[in-house]
Amino acid sequence: MQVANRPSSDALNSDGTIKDFAVEPSVVLKSPSLHDLTEVISRPIEAKATLKWYIALAVSASLLMLEMVCWGISFYYGSGMWGNNIPVAWAFPIVNFVFWIGIGHAGTLISAILFLFRQKWRNGIARFAEGMTIFAVMCAGLFPLFHTGRPWLPLYLMPYPNKHAVWVNFLSPLVWDVFAVSTYFTVSLFFWYTGLIPDFATLRDRTLGKDLISKIKKSVYSVLSLGWRFSNRHWRHYERVYLILAGLSTPLVLSVHTIVSFDFAVSGLPGWHTTIFPPYFVAGAIFSGFAMVVTVLVFIRYIFDMQHLITVETLEKMNKIILLTGTIVGYAYGMEFFIAWYSGNLIEQFTFINRAFGPYAWAYWIMISCNVISPQMFWFRKLRRSVPIMFVISIFVNIGMWFERYVITVTSLARDFLPSSWGWYNPTLVDFGLLLGSFGMFFTLTLLFVKFMPVVSIAEIKSVMDEAKPSHHGGDH
Amino acid sequence: MSSTTHAIHYEKKHLPASAGTLGWGVLIAGLAVAGASFAMDPMRAKYSSIMLFMFLAGVGICSLFMVSIEYLAGAVWSTPLRRVFEILASSLLFLPLFALPILPFMQELYLWTHKTDDILARKAAYLNQPFFLIRLALILGIWILFYKLFTGRSYKQDETRDQDLTRKNVKLSAVFIPVFGISITALSIDFLMSLEPHWFSTMFGVNFFAGSLVAALGVITITVILLNENGYLVKGIIGDHYYSLGFGMFAGCVFWTYTAFSQGMLIWYANLPEETPWFLNRWEGSWKVITIALLLVHFIGPLFGLIQRKNKRNPSRMIFMAAWVIFAHVLDLYWIVVPVFQPEGPSLRLTEFGFIAIAIGFLIVLVTQQAKKKNLVAVGDPKLQRGLAFRL
Amino acid sequence: MSKKAKNNAMSENKESQKLFALTGLFDTPDEIMHAASAASKKYRKYDVHTPYPVHGMDDAMGLGESPIGWCTLLIGTSCMLMMLGFIAWVSLVDYPLVWAGKPYFSLPGYIPILFEVTVLTGAVSTVLILFFIVSGFPNNNHPLHDTPYMQRTSDDKFGLCLEAADPNFNEADAKGLLEKMGAKNIQPVYYEKAEADAGLSLTHPAFVSFLAFVIVGVSGAAYFGLNRMVFMVPFNYMSVQGRAVAQEKNNIFKDGRSMQKPVAGTVARGLLPYPFKLDDQIKAQAEAGKYLSNPLPRTEAVFELGKTQFDSKCSACHGYYGEGDSRLNGKFPAPPTLHSKKVSEWTDANIYHVITEGQNVMPSYAKQLTRDERWAVVHYIRALQRSLKPKETDLQ
Repeated sequence: MQVANRPSSDALNSDGTIKDFAVEPSVVLKSPSLHDLTEVISRPIEAKATLKWYIALAVSASLLMLEMVCWGISFYYGSGMWGNNIPVAWAFPIVNFVFWIGIGHAGTLISAILFLFRQKWRNGIARFAEGMTIFAVMCAGLFPLFHTGRPWLPLYLMPYPNKHAVWVNFLSPLVWDVFAVSTYFTVSLFFWYTGLIPDFATLRDRTLGKDLISKIKKSVYSVLSLGWRFSNRHWRHYERVYLILAGLSTPLVLSVHTIVSFDFAVSGLPGWHTTIFPPYFVAGAIFSGFAMVVTVLVFIRYIFDMQHLITVETLEKMNKIILLTGTIVGYAYGMEFFIAWYSGNLIEQFTFINRAFGPYAWAYWIMISCNVISPQMFWFRKLRRSVPIMFVISIFVNIGMWFERYVITVTSLARDFLPSSWGWYNPTLVDFGLLLGSFGMFFTLTLLFVKFMPVVSIAEIKSVMDEAKPSHHGGDH
Repeated sequence: MSSTTHAIHYEKKHLPASAGTLGWGVLIAGLAVAGASFAMDPMRAKYSSIMLFMFLAGVGICSLFMVSIEYLAGAVWSTPLRRVFEILASSLLFLPLFALPILPFMQELYLWTHKTDDILARKAAYLNQPFFLIRLALILGIWILFYKLFTGRSYKQDETRDQDLTRKNVKLSAVFIPVFGISITALSIDFLMSLEPHWFSTMFGVNFFAGSLVAALGVITITVILLNENGYLVKGIIGDHYYSLGFGMFAGCVFWTYTAFSQGMLIWYANLPEETPWFLNRWEGSWKVITIALLLVHFIGPLFGLIQRKNKRNPSRMIFMAAWVIFAHVLDLYWIVVPVFQPEGPSLRLTEFGFIAIAIGFLIVLVTQQAKKKNLVAVGDPKLQRGLAFRL
Repeated sequence: MSKKAKNNAMSENKESQKLFALTGLFDTPDEIMHAASAASKKYRKYDVHTPYPVHGMDDAMGLGESPIGWCTLLIGTSCMLMMLGFIAWVSLVDYPLVWAGKPYFSLPGYIPILFEVTVLTGAVSTVLILFFIVSGFPNNNHPLHDTPYMQRTSDDKFGLCLEAADPNFNEADAKGLLEKMGAKNIQPVYYEKAEADAGLSLTHPAFVSFLAFVIVGVSGAAYFGLNRMVFMVPFNYMSVQGRAVAQEKNNIFKDGRSMQKPVAGTVARGLLPYPFKLDDQIKAQAEAGKYLSNPLPRTEAVFELGKTQFDSKCSACHGYYGEGDSRLNGKFPAPPTLHSKKVSEWTDANIYHVITEGQNVMPSYAKQLTRDERWAVVHYIRALQRSLKPKETDLQ
């Protein structure tokens, strides 16, 4: 085995500063051999689950049970069990929906956009982030489904020839949402699965046992890997398909949160109707999604002992993106406020003053301090690279982003044009149960995923190893 | 620790004198036409000055933005090209000159300077002439300051090859990005959005940024390809580097379309009386043709022209597409500015071509003059070797 | 799927097996690149197996660009156009709906959906093309599967596989090439002859009939499942919704009636109270005559209305011409003629009062005739009176 000729210690100092710009930093530490990589990634899948994993699963599965109970209540008694009422008819469900869809965006961003920009550090976390996308969209999708009031008739959302002789309204942003979210889920699933095929094939070839369990495992992997043979004649198409999927997912991921923002922005309601909403929502989604990825990755790399694959450098880069998107979100808050004043529209002005100083001021200032102020800590390298601090800040960011949607939805609805129709929103226990429970669903699925599937893409991580690059291709040494 | 000492073969060659002569010729011809227009068709000359200023401001500051993004992201593909970005960013130094023809005529160009009503009175704290001038001076001053800091270190590095200079610029670019975001928004609001002072859109600054970035990348692409194909840059800049520039133009055009569509669709959909007039002015009479043409030129053309990898690696096709996207940005500026003064429909006179000649001549002169004094490649940059080895 | 025997190089039963290929393993990407370019000069049917896509291998093997992108573009755009056509048909032809003051066909509002459809169909079809056509799915049965060769290339080695089906293939030459390029673990791979002769492919009759069976089964199950077993009425029609029937007992209200009386003092919409209600009918009639006058003009429409109402409500007793010739054959006392001097001399309001309040055995017709209808009937009665006693001028 060829020795890695450019260990990352040449490029970076131990505190993460760049020692030599002329040397390309490695994606992973310790330069493991290709075989070591296969071993490290496959071992958690093949070995017995650890106690840590069982404890985490027990906690999140109980939260999942809570969610199931609350969905049951909502199903049996109807959406009247929630606090939604005129004037705040859109409340926790839409807030949770937008929150979870936003979380999902980081996954596609990491797997598709960073792929197009050839950011190699993404390879260590892309698989996990893609999985996260799918689970987050699953969590999100339940909320509008139940909000329709008849969750057993989701087919009404689709344009199909029906007995009532009506069609869906193609001009409604809620119908756009149906198209956008279902497309997003499907394409993410295909993207994820396409990436998993070679890894399933690796697992298939590693399963050599003669006992029944191994045989069952092997046939499952065989079917899932679709007979993949690592042939270069297939890799050629495979890489192109991966590029196309990345190219399609990039505008798709932007469009999804854009359309979610249209739900609000196409209306005439002050505080909702702002033209900057689409990019602002997208930046916010990436912001919260990256924070969630950091939160979960910090756990994963401890549970599965992958500190050298998911390095502090990778996490630091994520934190930089959190800082950047947090600043963009701050810019959008500022623009909204400035243009509300600049518009000269008194109702618009009132809405924003009411947000900051009205009865929901507490939510507004939680949002500002979590979203705009707390990520500013990442200006300092020490804090950016400290795992406990990034963990805390990432949680703050998630709280802040949840409150952002709360502020947008609830304050604008609670006090609109006519003082006579002003109101107040009181969430019920079921609302809180669903919010908390959706985290249970998300973490349960994530834990099952990291146990039963390769959490780092085996083929992709190999391709960015130093020894993986053929030397006569590229620079003319 | 190897490649810093690795020899990069760069021999400074002087651009042919004919290039400089051509630039001066075009510039002087343009200035003559513009000067005559100020006498004969003054209104047209005045609003064309706004377009010229905003075009050059966008190109200059977005070139500097590309420099800072390279430092911030640690990108290597653009390192061999970075000196071209820096040279084009030096147009920032001349921006005050281009702002001068606008300032005496603000009374005629900007409604808010001389009229007031209920709504304008509420905006008076922002839209008033002293504050406008202060903002302008502040924005241009800050941009020139950042330009001096970035490029000063970069030029110094040609001699010293000191990596600390790169390190300092990385820190500087982190500071630059938020400043850049706020200043380019403020400039676009001041010069373009306030042409119709009752109208407002939060997306406007982002939209202008997207358009300017595309135009800046177009100018950069043409300059890089012309210099490189004629051997004035270093050996090793190949189709893969062009590809990255093309990818930037493609992404920029799509992003511009995204912001323009979001802005237009939301206003169309919500149908609020204080927002729709801006678009109605551009959807009535022959302006409708320009609006549709803008969509085709700024989106459909680049979409199909730049989506293929083959085209992005081909120098002549890239020059064509770069010229195309620059034209798209000019059309965008025209579409924003001119309907205010000619609501009846677009019309072209020699004046417009004169101002275009000024822009072209100015950029050629800028490059030739800068090329006399400076290396065309950042030879001292530690990432240069990696940048030349860049492959897709 | 007989994976057991097919690839065992040590197998004794040579007759039933056929050489598939000669394989060799390499340690580094550089070696495999050189080996691949060497192989590409001599063979057409060979393949390189690497644990990850090695950069530049396509050039080394002399493969062109993958054409899948064009399929994506073609399918995505054609599905987008189909969706556009569908939306146009729905919003212009089948279900035109004016909505938010927008035109029936509002393209800006359809762009989000068109975009999503393009991406969805483009992405899904691309992946399906990869699965089904490029990778030859379902193809879990390949001679290379479960060989030590495959197990190493899926882990950390780089393999070159020279297939026996190549016309230039010759075991000794191939071995020589592999050895020259520095391959390790050079091994032949065999597969079952019977299986090769069967020629399993997507067009195999067994597979096609299996597919047909699946299609018929799935659509049949879907039909019976959706239309027979779990069919639900799309809406609860009003006829089956719970409701209160007018005369039914109703436990919700205190008095147990479904039909509740209006609140005291309720005034019906459009009702003007009739003020001339006295015990003394004669006096009331006179009062009405004093204060009321016929508000309706004498137009053809009014007479038409008066005639319709008179014929349907009054003529049964008063006769079609108001002569008191009742059609009730004495079942009800016939009224006197309306052409009497007394009635002729009454004012319009006096007649109106009688219709509204009734007189003697005649009941009130206020419920049956609206205010305007009553006044129209008055006009009509006047016309009847005049038709029997015309003036001179009328006859000319």
